[in-house]
Amino acid sequence: MHGVKRVQYSKEALEAKRQRDQAKLKEYLALTHDILSRKKNNDMCREAFELTTRLLRVNPEFYTVWNYRRQILEIDMIPKSSAADTNDLLAEDLNLTTALLKQHPKVYWIWNHRRWCLEHVPNGPTEEDSNGWRMANWNKELFVVEKMLEADARNFHAWNYRRYVLGTMPVRRSELSELAYTSRKIEANFSNFSAWHQRSKVLTALWESNTVDPVKSKEEEFDLVKNAMYTDPGDQSVWIYHRWLVGDGGEAALLKREINTIQELLNEQPDSKWCMESLVHYKRLLLQKHTTSFQPGEQVNLVESCIGLLQELGALDPARRQRYKESSEHITRLST
Amino acid sequence: MSTDLELHIPLHVKYIQSLGKSKDDLMYHLTAHLRMNAIYWGLTALCIMKHKDALSREEMIEFVMSCWDDEAGAFGAHPDHDAHIHSTLSAIQILCVQDAMDRLDVDRITKFILSLQKPSGVFAGDKYGEVDSRFSYIAVNALALLGRLHELDTEKTVDYIRRCKNFDGGFGAVIGAESHAAQVFVCTAALAILDRLDVIDQDTLAWWLAERQLPSGGLNGRPEKLEDVCYSFWVLSALSILKKVSWIDADKLMQFIISAQDPDNGGIADRPGNQADVFHTQFGVAGLSLLGYPGLDDLDPVFCMPASVIEARGLKKGWQALPRQPTL
Repeated sequence: MHGVKRVQYSKEALEAKRQRDQAKLKEYLALTHDILSRKKNNDMCREAFELTTRLLRVNPEFYTVWNYRRQILEIDMIPKSSAADTNDLLAEDLNLTTALLKQHPKVYWIWNHRRWCLEHVPNGPTEEDSNGWRMANWNKELFVVEKMLEADARNFHAWNYRRYVLGTMPVRRSELSELAYTSRKIEANFSNFSAWHQRSKVLTALWESNTVDPVKSKEEEFDLVKNAMYTDPGDQSVWIYHRWLVGDGGEAALLKREINTIQELLNEQPDSKWCMESLVHYKRLLLQKHTTSFQPGEQVNLVESCIGLLQELGALDPARRQRYKESSEHITRLST
Repeated sequence: MSTDLELHIPLHVKYIQSLGKSKDDLMYHLTAHLRMNAIYWGLTALCIMKHKDALSREEMIEFVMSCWDDEAGAFGAHPDHDAHIHSTLSAIQILCVQDAMDRLDVDRITKFILSLQKPSGVFAGDKYGEVDSRFSYIAVNALALLGRLHELDTEKTVDYIRRCKNFDGGFGAVIGAESHAAQVFVCTAALAILDRLDVIDQDTLAWWLAERQLPSGGLNGRPEKLEDVCYSFWVLSALSILKKVSWIDADKLMQFIISAQDPDNGGIADRPGNQADVFHTQFGVAGLSLLGYPGLDDLDPVFCMPASVIEARGLKKGWQALPRQPTL
């Protein structure tokens, strides 16, 4: 149970609620009993199907009833239907889950059933256009999932489903349109790490396929991130994404440039934990990977600066002071 | 003991006992699909609070056995509910804690679990095919408890988990999914059981996990999300396995969990002031155990079961919780 406020009811109020619930309870138990008995007897009739609709509207987490519903569809209803009727049947089930998701956006079983429906969309409407129904359904799914992400931009069920839908489109969409989608989500809210995460996946694919020029595209990302850092230097989403963008620190020039950018921001925001934390991270990468190219004194300066920053971090963010202490010890060891 | 840090054990025991007695309550029946899990949560919390006997062992074993789905060869969540890998693990865990593993048809359950592995290496929850790294952990945990881990294709299982890993060190539910603390727990614990912690970028992951702690002391599950008591376990278990519990502020987290107790009726909620449930009660108590809260028994963060039970079966891995405090 998440996010339900605790209310202290009086004895009388509790008793009144119990009384009110009794009728509902009786009906619910009778319906459950009816359905589970029919299931045991392999009853595959339309009436049983309608009963599962009734029960799932009350309790969409009753996975056994979803299973039974799929059995009826698979064993009885779909085999007896034309392809067009099957497509309609599945559309009805998709509509049912859309309605349920509005009330229960985080119930795994509803999302599962949606996927099952999608996977059973038949070929059609014609032999020439055998992907037509699938295209229509898949496009509708993207629309629904975008609505779900408008209601809660961090709903991981919706994001996972979105990736599934995109990955199984009958005709693949360009990754560029997904990149544009993440831009919109990030512009709406820089804190939306789910969108930053998606962006990291989409860009990786775009760079690997050379759909966009990796060098130019990376520079555009650094601009975007810099903008976000300056907007709210306390937002960890952006810093985590920045860490991905910089990567394993193989390029000394890039590390140094980013260190300078962050240092400038720290000068403006002297209490920024994430500036300090990131400076230590990138300076440590320099110390681990680029000592051979150092000027005299550079190593000592970097080590001293990291140790100073880690001391400040320990005071500023005492919850994690043990980690800062261990980092400090690690960096000291790097210099000896 | 300072009263503002007191865990109300007698109240929580009473709360857990009361859960099975609310059969004229609509909510009780609306959550029947979680019954097996709920019993496992309640029993584990009771064990950690040293009140294992507060629920009848015989009744519990009989209930578990009444959930056997003979067609599938595994357990459902409730009598007449379909078998699922999640309720099957809970059933095994309950019987293991109650020292009643002889009631299990180990061959059939092993077959059921192994039949759910997909060519990619991930496991499905049941024959309807939802896949998730949670189910990989459940399979690994269950097979270890059953003594049948040698029948698992370890390479394939590990390979899928590796492909769920993200640049932030965390793991998602499927390949491509965002890192989430609960998925981090299942993937880290599965890798611990399989002795494959080498797959993890340990420093990066421990950093990401430590950043889950918010100023309230509570932990969130993803960047820029709200704190919730259940993450006390998801994050802490993974930190214990990485031997980095000291990277967060234990005292503040303890205070947060304690403040989410219902001081009148018992139980722990997701957040202070919210309604308690057995899920958060278990994961709150589990978190407190890993933080060294005095008077509790040790919890094994890999299996999420009493540490003594796991040790007795020779399954203990090299995790590290905070030392048990003598008093507050």
